[in-house]
Amino acid sequence: MIDLHRERVLAAAAALRRLVDRPLKFMEVCGTHTVSIYRSGLRALFPEGLSLVSGPGCPVCVTAQEEIDSLLRLSEMKDIILATYGDMLRVPGSSTSLAEARAHGASVRVVLSAADALRMARETPNRTVVFAGVGFETTAPATAAVILQACRENIRNFAVLNLHKTVPAVLETLGADPELSLDGFLLPGHVSTILGLTPYLPLPEKHGLACVVAGFEPDQIMAGIALLVLQKKRGIPAVQSAYPEAVRPTGNRQAKRLLETVFEEADSIWRGLGKIPRSGLKLQDAFSAYDARVRFGISDLPARETAGCRCGDVLAGRIQPFGCPLFANRCTPETPVGPCMVSSEGSCSAAYRYGRGDRF
Amino acid sequence: MKPISLSQGSGGRQSQRLVGAILEATGTKPDLPLEDCALLGEGLAMTIDGYTVSPLAFPGGHIGKLAVCGTVNDLACRGARPLFLALSVIAEEGFDENELLGYLRDAAGICSRIGLRIVTGDTKVVPKGQLDGLILTTCGIGKSTRAAPLGIPSIQEGDSLLLTGPIGLHGATIAALRYGLESEGLVSDCAPLWETIEPLLAFDGLRAMRDCTRGGLATVLCEWAEASGLGMEIDESAVFVPSPVASVCDLLGFDPFHLACEGCMLLAVSPEETKPVLEALRASRYGKDAAIIGIVTENHPGWVTLNTRFGGSRILDMPVGEILPRIC
Repeated sequence: MIDLHRERVLAAAAALRRLVDRPLKFMEVCGTHTVSIYRSGLRALFPEGLSLVSGPGCPVCVTAQEEIDSLLRLSEMKDIILATYGDMLRVPGSSTSLAEARAHGASVRVVLSAADALRMARETPNRTVVFAGVGFETTAPATAAVILQACRENIRNFAVLNLHKTVPAVLETLGADPELSLDGFLLPGHVSTILGLTPYLPLPEKHGLACVVAGFEPDQIMAGIALLVLQKKRGIPAVQSAYPEAVRPTGNRQAKRLLETVFEEADSIWRGLGKIPRSGLKLQDAFSAYDARVRFGISDLPARETAGCRCGDVLAGRIQPFGCPLFANRCTPETPVGPCMVSSEGSCSAAYRYGRGDRF
Repeated sequence: MKPISLSQGSGGRQSQRLVGAILEATGTKPDLPLEDCALLGEGLAMTIDGYTVSPLAFPGGHIGKLAVCGTVNDLACRGARPLFLALSVIAEEGFDENELLGYLRDAAGICSRIGLRIVTGDTKVVPKGQLDGLILTTCGIGKSTRAAPLGIPSIQEGDSLLLTGPIGLHGATIAALRYGLESEGLVSDCAPLWETIEPLLAFDGLRAMRDCTRGGLATVLCEWAEASGLGMEIDESAVFVPSPVASVCDLLGFDPFHLACEGCMLLAVSPEETKPVLEALRASRYGKDAAIIGIVTENHPGWVTLNTRFGGSRILDMPVGEILPRIC
């Protein structure tokens, strides 16, 4: 039987070979895109001149060192259970990781959702469950929903260490970087289902960047890249969705309302990129009873990034994973030095797991 | 103090390290390369495995079935007919005796079906809270009458790689239960493969076999590549990933090649005998979905590559650490 996905990928690859006649550099923002591209070996199908750099779309990776340290300090407090998404466990902070802290006796539990953390709080009334609120616009509405739920049920032994970040402002920073000189963005599929297309409009309008939202299957990614190339070639940069089955232009109103009810826009520190205005979310004062920073007196202390680790440059698209001197020698998925090697969505991890074959 | 981490129990590379440290500390010098089952000479084969699974029962099996099948399959991999089984039961205080007996009754049923005798055993009960319900350990002894050697050193360039069935079913079933996902259509592949393997032992071209348990198909392939110094080249579209397994992997960010199977074996077979072995497999119990999935090559020694559906190629590596669900 004919494999439809395969045929679509090959057709898009043929179109790219025909269309690309000068160097073009795009950034795939989302870690899920990065992994899908490596896993399906799509790079082998790109024509010469077309390059794709990975962006800051892995939530674990962009969580700043000082934020990881705050989580670690919380996990070591008495009578606290720290509930976290699985891929935060192995990220090294300044001194240790949550996985190591757990092996030494800290109460760290893996949850799949914010709702699981709230359930844990209901089931363990004599301890406080602190949920590590990590992620972009995809996970933040769920965090907002459980905070509202905790309010409704008056659950007191629950709090959130809010580390949520938002995507559009960062893309503007990267898009305006002359050193990077990007031609456009392959925009994240999941984040855009929440945001819609409007928040990205400054990218083409102010910076002339091509922008296409794509799904995560290899054929959807290839189609998205072909559209990016077409936008550049015809000189009509715009924000376009190649994922209409999931992304509405206005996004998900309900999720956006949740965000507006619980959070407000704030500056946020990104690993490798530093403090970026309006790139994060902060709990509104009305919810400070659920803010772990307020309740447990946690403030992010300055932390030094590990010597030699260039995750920051990888996240900003300034170097490829192979360009880091630690890659595949001191830094491997077993002994990760930086978060991009830890997370399953990190570009170093993807390059290590799937991409080393480029040398054969 | 050097705490052992959960990641050292997940198969893959960190588990390898712990095993290495234990061998060194005990001064044990096993025959290399390491296999899951030892050949003791005169056709005798011996293996041992501890079983802990949460939840204890799942669609397609339970800890008792797992304990017998795992040991049967380890013996079968070395071409040994499973003959004798020792069974150790460690139960937590308060555990339901009827539940325990139910598991063991099923386990005994499988043993008698394939002619494996439970000959000795041990029971311990530990105070509540010291373990999560139940741990079973089984030690199996088997006998092989095969003259042609079976194991990693027999693998040669040009051999075909065959898989007896779909991958990831056990791991995906357990993950779905553990993380509260819809598990419709997911059934563990847990099965005793002796009846599947026995008819193949007549083929001298059968070089090596391994069941793809913890760490999945990727781990077995990597161990074979590293231990044999040969390369393994896999055709992605030839590997059967059932769609419920693919769904669980998509949701949690897992790679189906890393998920445990409990009733699926990888075989290396000489090119001349590939066809008859495949036919014998497809006619056997549990082997109807058997397929040729790749080839042993002298290119990229020590590495496993995967040719993707789209004409690209990538590395296939072992999982590292605990297999953890991703954020979004």
